[in-house]
Amino acid sequence: MMALALAVALALAQASPPQAAVPASPPSADAGAPARLPEVLIDRRLAEAVPLRVGDTVRVRALAARGTTLPFIVGGVFERQADPNRISRNEMELRFHLPDLETLLPQKDRVDRFAVVLRPGANADSAARWIEGVAFGTRAYGSAALASESSATFRVVSRFHDAIGIVTILASAIFLLCVMIIRVDERKRDMAMLRLIGVSRSTVFRAIILEAVVISITGSAAGAVVGLIAARIVNAHYAAVYDTTLRFALVTPRIVLTAAVLGLALGIGAGALAAWRVVAVPPQKLGER
Amino acid sequence: MIVSAFLKSLFRRRGRTSLALAGIAVSAALLLDMTMLASGLTVSFGELLGVSGYTLRVTPKGILPFDSDASIENGDQVARRIRAVPGVRAVAPVLGAQFRMVHGDSAGAPLFTMGVEPESEFLYRLTAGRHPGPGEVIVSEPLATDARLKPGDAIVLAGDLDVSLGRARATRKYRVSGVGDFLYNYAGEHSLAMNIGDVRAATGRGADVSLFGVATQPGTDDDALAKRIAAAVPEVSTYSTRELMAEMDKRLLYFRQLATILGSVAMVVTALLVATIITIGVRERFGEIATLRAIGIRGRRVLLAVVAEGLALTAIGCLAGLPMGLWMAGRLDRILLGFPGIPARMTFFAWEPRRVALAMGIVIAIGAVAGCIPGLGAVRAPLGQALREEAE
Repeated sequence: MMALALAVALALAQASPPQAAVPASPPSADAGAPARLPEVLIDRRLAEAVPLRVGDTVRVRALAARGTTLPFIVGGVFERQADPNRISRNEMELRFHLPDLETLLPQKDRVDRFAVVLRPGANADSAARWIEGVAFGTRAYGSAALASESSATFRVVSRFHDAIGIVTILASAIFLLCVMIIRVDERKRDMAMLRLIGVSRSTVFRAIILEAVVISITGSAAGAVVGLIAARIVNAHYAAVYDTTLRFALVTPRIVLTAAVLGLALGIGAGALAAWRVVAVPPQKLGER
Repeated sequence: MIVSAFLKSLFRRRGRTSLALAGIAVSAALLLDMTMLASGLTVSFGELLGVSGYTLRVTPKGILPFDSDASIENGDQVARRIRAVPGVRAVAPVLGAQFRMVHGDSAGAPLFTMGVEPESEFLYRLTAGRHPGPGEVIVSEPLATDARLKPGDAIVLAGDLDVSLGRARATRKYRVSGVGDFLYNYAGEHSLAMNIGDVRAATGRGADVSLFGVATQPGTDDDALAKRIAAAVPEVSTYSTRELMAEMDKRLLYFRQLATILGSVAMVVTALLVATIITIGVRERFGEIATLRAIGIRGRRVLLAVVAEGLALTAIGCLAGLPMGLWMAGRLDRILLGFPGIPARMTFFAWEPRRVALAMGIVIAIGAVAGCIPGLGAVRAPLGQALREEAE
């Protein structure tokens, strides 16, 4: 059974018994038995929206054709594979046997695409070039090339998210630096006292860095928890909006680790800058207002 | 005087204030961008739809323009019925098809071809040459550049390919009458426009029409006219610009919601920054504030001064954030226009003064509220205790 996205006009004829409708498939060899209607699989969302059940009769007409409306029996309800490419279009889908679909369409003996399985060890690129040479006007793609061709949208989204990420990191870095400077400024007199009783500059410097590390680690841990909760809320929200199993926000250990390392680096940088402001000044001047 | 003294205190700690301003500016820039993004594509799409003067689209029942291969049968008759509806000024039929340019034995990639009534000027603007007559085509600017075509050149187009014989079939020779700026093309798109009769003849599609553009008479309400057309020609769907924008909104829900989330994050960051700066500033001047209260300055005036400090910080931060936000919007727009199929004339970030003013107003209000909390704490603290702490 071939999956084809087809815009269809669907006229529901639930009341009519299947046998009463005009069969679209060739009649059975047994002339005495009633001809069976061809079957169609219905997208679960369409089945819920209409609503439809297995065994119902539906009448289908292709919008791209002048053809007549043909009856089909709902042979099953399927869950469409989650496809981010089509998420925003919210299209419903029907699946027919290829010959049944052909009866609905104006063009005969035509296909949109073939999926080709190669023998183990066969070279996909050379097979693709051979197919293009044999079938004039066709384009053959290996799985990787096809994935690359069809993921242009996501590459753009990814670049956009990267850009937003950079802005967010910049804002966080400034915020962190601000907090560290304020915290150190607040305790300038304490720092002066420590320096005056003989505590070395490097000890003060290290103490401030240590404080920044603790703040960064605590902040990163809190951020990871907030991120996990936010991801769950975002996924639950979009799952409801788009009726999909796709996950829009993904928090992986690698992402958490990257964020923590970045937070730590920013924290140490901010701490070092703030500490430098203190240790570079003579202790006598630190106590001044 | 009190207010000005408090504002001056911001400049006593220049490093700290500069950092806070930088943080607020980045947050304000992000908020500005998200505000522009939230409605940008929809607004831009609306403007683009109306640029040709055709504000309504009539399509096959239930289909958005060029969303499927479906077409309207008996297009000429449907066009006459639409023209008869009061309020309709002009009707422009379009039939979409795919052709390939043929060079010797080889055929190029499919070219989206629009069959139009050239005088309607619905889908393109001429940049060179003249409108196409029978047997003539207009080529898009990128196609003209890449294929080195100019008015007067001859091209061969094929409507179909014979896979088994390995050659193009249904080939016809056309003359390039002009080069056009196609309003709805994405950047670098190769496309053609020709007389609708030529497309019908080449594809054997009788009197089919993919969609109609409908121009309204001055003073006519688009939505009301769409309803009248729907009533007069029930076998088609009629969309006003507003309805198409609403459809676009649905498809771009992700971006609107992302903009809302990131905008909210920017506001929270701003609030935290301002609150931190003001809180620390107020704590540092606890004794000063207590002394002011002791000599008879009213708590309300002190609170006003603290709030003014927050307002000044956010207002200056917002001013700095505006150019930064506009610069960032330009960079982000360039990234997002890489989406396949987005018309090159559109923008994801629309400058809407009212929305931008509202966003900046919210940031400034956040600054005021953030100043209120430490301000209230300072003016409500027991005076004796505050003075004693200051003395210690």
